[in-house]
Amino acid sequence: MVSNERTPDARGEFLAGCRDMAPVLIGTVPFGFVAGVAAVGAGMTPLEGIALSLFAFSGIAQLVVAQLVAAQSPVVLTLAAALIVSLRFLMYSAALSPHVAHLPARWRVPLAYLMTDQGFAMGVHIYSQPGDRRLRHWHVLGSGVMLWVVWQSSVVAGAVLGAQVPAAWSLDFVVTLSFLVLLAPALRTRADLAAAVVAGAVVLLAAGLPYKLSLVVASLAGIAAGVAAEWMHKR
Amino acid sequence: MSEWIVILGAGAVTFLTRASFIVFADPQKFPHAFRVALAYVPAAVLAAIVVPGLAITQGALDLSPANPRLVAGIAAFAVALKVRNPIVSIGAGMAALWALQALAG
Repeated sequence: MVSNERTPDARGEFLAGCRDMAPVLIGTVPFGFVAGVAAVGAGMTPLEGIALSLFAFSGIAQLVVAQLVAAQSPVVLTLAAALIVSLRFLMYSAALSPHVAHLPARWRVPLAYLMTDQGFAMGVHIYSQPGDRRLRHWHVLGSGVMLWVVWQSSVVAGAVLGAQVPAAWSLDFVVTLSFLVLLAPALRTRADLAAAVVAGAVVLLAAGLPYKLSLVVASLAGIAAGVAAEWMHKR
Repeated sequence: MSEWIVILGAGAVTFLTRASFIVFADPQKFPHAFRVALAYVPAAVLAAIVVPGLAITQGALDLSPANPRLVAGIAAFAVALKVRNPIVSIGAGMAALWALQALAG
């Protein structure tokens, strides 16, 4: 080895993952709290709200389910909406899979369960770093476990304490800001920018569509715009 | 009762979409065009989540400078482009929103 980097060890990689995720948690705590409050506000018991969070582990899916349970929507429609807002996980899963394809299923199943918007962004970052990659999955696992523990604790706090936060604090704005801080570093090229601008415009034009379909339509339009921009640039 | 069906169903839906490629597919078999498209997933999906949170208030589109969430979001975005630390960007966005709401009184 000519590299003077230290040889990675599993424990060190795991702890580095926990540390990397720490700055993200400022958004996770209020977001989780908002999701816990929303579940109870929708008429679920605190236990049901916490169970929803343990099974789904997705802020957007939990908020959508809470909205539709509150509106007493049929179960099938509620699950269809949860599926639609989760379609982005298909894309994340596909993008991350080449990095973890060599791992056994006992690794890939928990890494899949722990994958979130923040976890995906972190995973892409972790695998883009130079150096020894053999134990990178411990790094990804550390970041996922860190986020999971803080998220679930925040949801429990929201579900148990309930809506005791004044609306004037606008705590729900943290949900938008949490995704905004992921968007900024994702815009590295003009094609990325084209994807974001088109997706942003289409999501507003499609805002009237039912069941959060606008999210899926806008995502696909944005991806197409990014591919088109890359293609035009190459010619 | 139906709550528990929703809870388990939401768990199944979110896990299966996450596990789709990571657990069940062979990435070597993805077509080239699909790999190219994957590169634009983060920018497109994140923009589609963020933009309504800034531009739609109380169910209506509001692109005016009088929309405090839009102005605070743009400020936070400008900070996020310069500073990689989410604590700074999210803090700046919330501080801007609170300041604008206080000014609008």
